[in-house]
Amino acid sequence: MAVSAGFEGFEKRLELHFFGDDPLNNLIDNEMGLRLLDFESLQEVLDAVQCTVVSAVGNQYFDAYVLSESSLFVYPTKIIIKTCGTTQLLKSIRPLVDYAHDLNLTLCACRYTRGSFIFPKSQPFPHTSFKEEVFYLEENLPINLCYRKASVMPSKLASHSWHVFTASDAQATTRQLVSGDVNATFTLEICMTELDRTMAKNGDTAGKEMTELTGIGGINPNPNSIICDFAFDPCGYSMNGVDGDRYSTIHVTPEDGFSYASFECVGSVYDDHDEVAQMLKRVVQVFKPATMSVSTTCTSHEVWTRVVHAIEPLGLKCRSCVMDEFPAAGSVVFQTFTATRRK
Amino acid sequence: MGGILSNIFGAGGSDGQDSPHSESATNVMSFHSSARWQLHFDSCKTSSQLMVIDFAASWCGPCKIMEPELRKMASTYSDVQFVKIDVDELSDVAQEFQVQAMPTFVLVKGGKEVERVIGARKDELLKKIEKHRAQQ
Repeated sequence: MAVSAGFEGFEKRLELHFFGDDPLNNLIDNEMGLRLLDFESLQEVLDAVQCTVVSAVGNQYFDAYVLSESSLFVYPTKIIIKTCGTTQLLKSIRPLVDYAHDLNLTLCACRYTRGSFIFPKSQPFPHTSFKEEVFYLEENLPINLCYRKASVMPSKLASHSWHVFTASDAQATTRQLVSGDVNATFTLEICMTELDRTMAKNGDTAGKEMTELTGIGGINPNPNSIICDFAFDPCGYSMNGVDGDRYSTIHVTPEDGFSYASFECVGSVYDDHDEVAQMLKRVVQVFKPATMSVSTTCTSHEVWTRVVHAIEPLGLKCRSCVMDEFPAAGSVVFQTFTATRRK
Repeated sequence: MGGILSNIFGAGGSDGQDSPHSESATNVMSFHSSARWQLHFDSCKTSSQLMVIDFAASWCGPCKIMEPELRKMASTYSDVQFVKIDVDELSDVAQEFQVQAMPTFVLVKGGKEVERVIGARKDELLKKIEKHRAQQ
């Protein structure tokens, strides 16, 4: 191979939802569910994925862990793991389902998403192709998750597609169809490449300084939100934001030639419209990417329009927009933007 | 007063006033009533000894990561007082110290907060302990 692979910034993301076995009630609010998983078990799951915990913080709603290769969020009935590099993320499914089972929790929905790898040939099993990932998921998810869908959402760039796999059981699917998502929550997964060089250089500094220097600390203006950040050696930066029951997470791979940064957060359709827009603007202003993709997962259809309105005024033009519907998860809208002016 | 003196001379363990935590011989003191805590805290105000307070919750994963680390630190730094407070048990104290996330380590000297570390950040906590334990 003439070209040597660099660090793969593009993450793989896995979200698992659980349901309490007790037919009388599904986890009372004050029960801690998955948070009761002891640390050794968690570490075992992460060993299977080949990453370790470097920093962590928790509040009354959830625990947030910064990992050697991204982030982990543990809620009472939901786990989100997002890993980059050459981690074997899907290998966490089996052990997690087993440990949850010991806590009387059953898997009721699963969502796996990722962009396109910069260095796909460097990925290990089962991530050598989406086809292989889907095959692995089909084999390893319990059969009660009977509604399954896999989709590759394209953009005008061959190197930027969005891969989605969802699986849910009858209850999770019906619940969403019948009552919808009460809070109308959405998840924004943003991938940025060709970052501004000055910003990327700051990747050499320590975590906290990086948070301040780059302005990352200002992305969420809520003074009560907590940031758990970590700077890697020789470079690289990760941060988890904890704001009430909402998480946000940023990961930066600064190396020139394959610079990458991701930003992910959750929100509600009922939030102040301006808040999301302002946050997106700040993200773009901090990273100044040449290419950016935004994937919005939501049970309602309005969020993605706000995304375009927030980003376009900053010199990034929307080049593609595709939407697809998934059982239980709702709609996923995948948009790509590229800078209109090169610096 | 007894609590401070026994710690300075490295006797370690919970002071006699408090029912010891079921975790064997640990140099980390725990308090189970606000009154006892207040008494202890007030008695430390005249001391220049550094006190590290670990605000934790039994259901918080990140807190469990730090537990063994804190015990190690308590053994290493015998000139520093280590205290553990359960935020559910002593919620008023947690509120008084404005603890919103766990674990939160509050470093106190002479009754005043000198530093705070939020999250299971072992290296940062070690750095801050080193920084404040020596100063008079």
